[in-house]
Amino acid sequence: MSESSAFNPFEAAQAQFDRIADLMGLEANARRLLRSPAHEHHLAVPVRLDSGEIEVFSGFRIQHNDARGPAWGGVRFHPQETVDTVRALAMGATWKTAVADIPLGGSMGGVVCDPHDLSPAEQERVCRSWVRRVARTIGPMRDVPSPDIMASSQHMTWMLDEYEAIVGEHAPGAVTGKSIGAGGSKGRAEATGYGMVYVLREALRERGIEPGATTASLQGFGLVGRHAMDLYTTIGGTVRCVAALDSATGRPISVSRRDGIAVAELLELSDRLGGIDGGRAAERGLVLDDGEAWLAADVDILIPAALEHQITEANVDRVSSRVRLILEGANAPLSEAAEERLAGRGVDVIPDLLANAGGVICSYFEQVQSGMNYYWTQSEVLSKLDLKLTSAYLDVSRFAKAKGLSQRDAAMVLAVDRVADLCRQRGWL
Amino acid sequence: MPVSDGPVEALLASLQERAKELNCLYEVEQILALIDLPPEDTFRRIVEVIPPGWQYPDVCCAVIDIRGQRFQTRPFSPTPWVLAADIQVHDEVVGSLSVWYLEERPPEDIGPFLKEEDRLIRTIAGRLGHSILFHKMHEMRGEWESASRELEAEKEDKWRAPIDLLLRTDRHLYLRIARKMVNHLVSAGVDRAQDLLQEIYGYVAGENDSDPNLPGRSRAINQQILLIGAPFELAVHHLGVDKVLALTRDWIMEDKASFLPKVLTNPRLPLSEVSAAVHRFHHLLADGADLSRATLDGIRVSLIRRFLSDQLSFISVAKQELETADFIGLIDSVLLSESSHGRVGGKSAGLFLAQRIIDRAAARDPELEPVRVPRSWYIASEGLMAFIEHNDLDEVLHQKYREIAQVRQEYPNIIHLFKNSRFPRETVKAASVLMDEVGDNPLIVRSSSLLEDRLGSAFSGKYKSLFLANQGNKNQRMGALLDAIAEVYASVFGPDPIAYRRERGLIDFHEEMAILVQEVVGARVGRFFLPAAAGVAFSSNELRWSPRIRRSDGLLRLVPGLGTRAVDRIADDYPILVVPGQPGLRVNTTIDEVVRYAPRKIDVINLETNRFESLEIGALLREVGTAYPAFEQVFSVVKDDTIRRPVPLMVDPERDELVADFGGLVTSTPFVARVAKMLNLLEAKLGTPVDIEFAFDGRDLYLLQCRPQSFAADDAPAPIPKDVPEEDVLFTARRFVSNGWVPDITHVVYVDPEAYGRLTERSDMLAVGRAVGLLNKLLPKRRFILIGPGRWGSRGDIKLGVNVTYSDINNTAMLVEVARTVGNYVPDLSFGTHFFQDLVESSIRYLPLYPDDDSLLNERLLHRSHNLFGGLLPELERLADVVRVVDIGQAGGGRVLRVLLNSDLDEAIAFLANPEEERGRGQSQPVGRPAGRSDTFWRWRLRMAERIAAEIDAERFGVRALYLIGSTKNATAGPSSDIDLVVHVDGDEGRRRELATWFEGWSLCLGELNYQRTGYATGSLLDVHYVTDEDVAERTSYAAKIGAVTDPAMELAIGGKP
Repeated sequence: MSESSAFNPFEAAQAQFDRIADLMGLEANARRLLRSPAHEHHLAVPVRLDSGEIEVFSGFRIQHNDARGPAWGGVRFHPQETVDTVRALAMGATWKTAVADIPLGGSMGGVVCDPHDLSPAEQERVCRSWVRRVARTIGPMRDVPSPDIMASSQHMTWMLDEYEAIVGEHAPGAVTGKSIGAGGSKGRAEATGYGMVYVLREALRERGIEPGATTASLQGFGLVGRHAMDLYTTIGGTVRCVAALDSATGRPISVSRRDGIAVAELLELSDRLGGIDGGRAAERGLVLDDGEAWLAADVDILIPAALEHQITEANVDRVSSRVRLILEGANAPLSEAAEERLAGRGVDVIPDLLANAGGVICSYFEQVQSGMNYYWTQSEVLSKLDLKLTSAYLDVSRFAKAKGLSQRDAAMVLAVDRVADLCRQRGWL
Repeated sequence: MPVSDGPVEALLASLQERAKELNCLYEVEQILALIDLPPEDTFRRIVEVIPPGWQYPDVCCAVIDIRGQRFQTRPFSPTPWVLAADIQVHDEVVGSLSVWYLEERPPEDIGPFLKEEDRLIRTIAGRLGHSILFHKMHEMRGEWESASRELEAEKEDKWRAPIDLLLRTDRHLYLRIARKMVNHLVSAGVDRAQDLLQEIYGYVAGENDSDPNLPGRSRAINQQILLIGAPFELAVHHLGVDKVLALTRDWIMEDKASFLPKVLTNPRLPLSEVSAAVHRFHHLLADGADLSRATLDGIRVSLIRRFLSDQLSFISVAKQELETADFIGLIDSVLLSESSHGRVGGKSAGLFLAQRIIDRAAARDPELEPVRVPRSWYIASEGLMAFIEHNDLDEVLHQKYREIAQVRQEYPNIIHLFKNSRFPRETVKAASVLMDEVGDNPLIVRSSSLLEDRLGSAFSGKYKSLFLANQGNKNQRMGALLDAIAEVYASVFGPDPIAYRRERGLIDFHEEMAILVQEVVGARVGRFFLPAAAGVAFSSNELRWSPRIRRSDGLLRLVPGLGTRAVDRIADDYPILVVPGQPGLRVNTTIDEVVRYAPRKIDVINLETNRFESLEIGALLREVGTAYPAFEQVFSVVKDDTIRRPVPLMVDPERDELVADFGGLVTSTPFVARVAKMLNLLEAKLGTPVDIEFAFDGRDLYLLQCRPQSFAADDAPAPIPKDVPEEDVLFTARRFVSNGWVPDITHVVYVDPEAYGRLTERSDMLAVGRAVGLLNKLLPKRRFILIGPGRWGSRGDIKLGVNVTYSDINNTAMLVEVARTVGNYVPDLSFGTHFFQDLVESSIRYLPLYPDDDSLLNERLLHRSHNLFGGLLPELERLADVVRVVDIGQAGGGRVLRVLLNSDLDEAIAFLANPEEERGRGQSQPVGRPAGRSDTFWRWRLRMAERIAAEIDAERFGVRALYLIGSTKNATAGPSSDIDLVVHVDGDEGRRRELATWFEGWSLCLGELNYQRTGYATGSLLDVHYVTDEDVAERTSYAAKIGAVTDPAMELAIGGKP
């Protein structure tokens, strides 16, 4: 197979950047600076296995940009990780923090391994070995790792412990995603779901619509979906349809009721992972349907909060003509073609970069609290989140309107501009 | 017996008598145990302790007459009131024991004596006989040795004194040994011995050879030659004095022990006599140290054959591991000792042997503590026949030769009949004794048939095992026990074991069923009784989810509560899988995985309702909380995105999220290491991979079963044919192969790794996942396999594998991952980890292929065959280069794809084969494989489908056409297959609903008929898909099958229409 023709996530990210840079008329130096990561660390991570043998894993830490503040980004364990995926994700983190307007840069890293093949003791040694190799380049004021694929709060706590042992002092802000007792932030479970609804609320206010007069259909009832539904119904909205996996069969289903579903009744029918017991739902008088029925529901708002690529060219025509707004809770739930068709029908899309930024902001809050060694209550966290997201949304929305851009493009332009601006102030450009 | 006022007093008096008798017997044993006491003193003391055991001790006298000597309590004149018993040694009367009343007393069973007293006197006389024999041997050995020592100096004639002594004390024994000596000399090649033989037997060499068909003449034996000591003289000459004396001594000991083999090989002797003989042997010879190895082996083998098994492979292992003493406990636990012959059946025998193996090894290895086995009782195998005879139920014995449908139909009646039959009095008595011993501890009544647990016929789950809460008064508890025994007996005549035996050619075996009654391991928690954990373990791992796991690392399936949920694959729940050799490698590593694949239900015994129940674990914990046995070892707390060991005091079962992941048990106790050691030991000793069942009550580990590792019918290693033409092979694999047979495959879905790698749009990669999900619904269930690049179900980087969830692949028979070398490295495969446990529980095979390394993948075959993809999913036709769907029947000229997996060889092969062809290419039917798939299943379904079509009222229901698709059409239907119908309707909703009701009736009815025929309870049997004019015009949904290029739907003639 020829490498050049295959899908390359970094090339895709660069193409997206190039398009935005063209749109902005960005100068050549700025393009050169932002098109590639600023620092790349390629690591050999030796780990002693339980058997006594040593295995050397590959690892990365790639810092795309730290003009606006310490770099921030995920750490993941994946057996077929490639450097280009890590580069793309590091760049994405830069734009994400910039759109949310938090003083952080963007980075990404991880170890090429499959935790399924490692005992917990070996996983701990992987974490510690990785930290020993990146200790001089990470830190609360340098680069802050947060958990990504297959990394749990346990892994993050091991990493923190190793980092603190190396620097010889407590530094809880060195990583995020820790459990609450270990320096994690309250409100993390709610952050993404609530954040989506803060943004939605502002969008409705702009359009002069009362949330109480709106109906919505939701895909996904995991942590994000259920909190979004919780806050949306609290501010008066009516959820008519929810799609999830059937907890008994694992098949996608939709449950619906025209005059609304209460989050409490669905919680009773669901498992921890967001599955819904379809059989019992039907007994409670909910209408059971196939897994795609949610996008055909007769509602004003669609909230895809599960997987990417759910509304595509193949099914976009099933979307009801009543739908006015799509709130992207998941990453990239719409295909490009579908988005174009919806735009043609006058449907507005609040892009993922903005809609699901609650998680990043909460991770930032964790780092801030850890730095002070003082922790806020849940309501403090959530009200600060509300403030941050509301202003982020208004920035994007006003800019989009003023320049006649889609919110997706507007968000990207704002992000690139904010990063480039700091680079100029620092004299890098 | 004293006159009493009421039944209570009578009972009390009777109990007092029994206590006196037992006490007396105990005193006698105490005296006999003093082996250094001279016999005279022994007898003198014994006559003193006998009278207190009798009803009227003050007028009672005991007398022992032996070898002309008399020992008595006190002098007295004879009276008419006497009870006597002979004292025998080696079946020869050597004296007598008598008990006298000096005054008249009221008449009882035998004069003034009770029948219990009669039994007591016989028992004491018997014990005296043993004791005398023992003393005699003891003396003889002493004299022998001193005689040998004295004569040490006089080399010449030193053998004469001991041999003379032998002749004087026991002439018969002398003669037997003299004959043996002659035989020994002959076999040692001493010429003169031949002559001696002729002199003794008058035998002339070659005399009988002339006419082999004539019986030999019988002659008198010339004993005189033996009596003058000729054989010994000759032997001393050839072998030397020391050798002769040593041989003689050994033979004397063997002769003394010879009664045991005689008893053991006599099948007519009841167990009570065998038991007495084993006890006597043990008493006489302690550990048999003086016997030759051959004699001891002989005795052990006789014991094994009598009680455990006559299977040669079992015997050869057991004789190395078991001592005669081991059998004493076993025999004492066999109920019905009076009439029983004592075979305890396969399950009990396997468990008994395993326990001894572990105990013996534990004596040398402190890490391997002796394993516990729950208290067990046995009802020997002929109990079933006794039950049948007692109730004149002989007709059920022919049940096994009837049609399976009839067997199935009549089985509920047999259960009913058995439960309403009466047990022989002896069984009832035995049950009563058992009830007194066990109290109200819950019991499990398990089958232990002669065929069960033998190598190659595992019978897993074929016969019944029943839990008894065992609560209530004794009558109720006994009733329940007998009821359960009847039900286990009835299961011999059930359709499943009969069908299974027929498949294995075991139908004519005279199956007998022993019963194993065990105490259930566990603890009382609130109203429930349950063990902390239970499960099964396999010494050979057939389910590897990581390349680091070796077969020899074994596998544990652990569940909380009773082990029933671990034994079978369960559709709605998951056991915890642990690899004993590498307990750190867990199949589920992320928190979401741990929670998703944790057990949700638990099996317990409800002591209030007297029932076996399955509960939600959450509900149980809300009720009993941390009182759950070994709570902190079984459960972990999920909190804040972490999984933590619980501190029981801090746990709130109402609010905390608890998950039964056995984190504490696996990481903080030696439990897993112990199981691993046990598995290795048992596999090494038994010479075959084993599987065991165990339970853990929170403190101790109990072994419940041990047998050669068994395989569900489709999990047996398949023979790998070597003579398949290369062009017919689709793939081969040589690494990480599990065992098994995949049903005949009609379709292959191949996601071309190269084409998939070339996709540039993420949306296209996601669409490939969606296409697989749609094909999963369209292709015949479990008749297609999926082959694709890298990691199926990859959620992170979608480039690495097709993004699917379990529900997108749940109908496949097999999942194949292809690892193509990229640059200079071969990427890791997922081993199905994303849905590994789902694959396991639904028997979907997983196989990794390394085509650039050591496997073969015939891409030519896949590429040159017609690709159905575009026809099946026209809306995704652009992906036809990436996803290929091959109809094997079409590509292979009517053949099917056969996939054979053999973990023993670590080899797998998939090749084109004729559907009728015998599996394994003409090799004999392998162990563990049911007979080739019968074509009766699809033929019957086709007939029924045609019937339905003929009966349908097309006008009334608005039916335009009716089609058959799927396994019935493709002639691949198995016993549990649906009948898939596609109905073209006119679109009137009301008529369609009526039609659905009409189909529903057929469906349920056919489901019931199918159950009668096959035993598969599918409920309804029809899977009806409706298509409208619009569908047909646009070829959407199932209408795509109508007139399709390949695998088209087959139209059925409806309601009189041609």
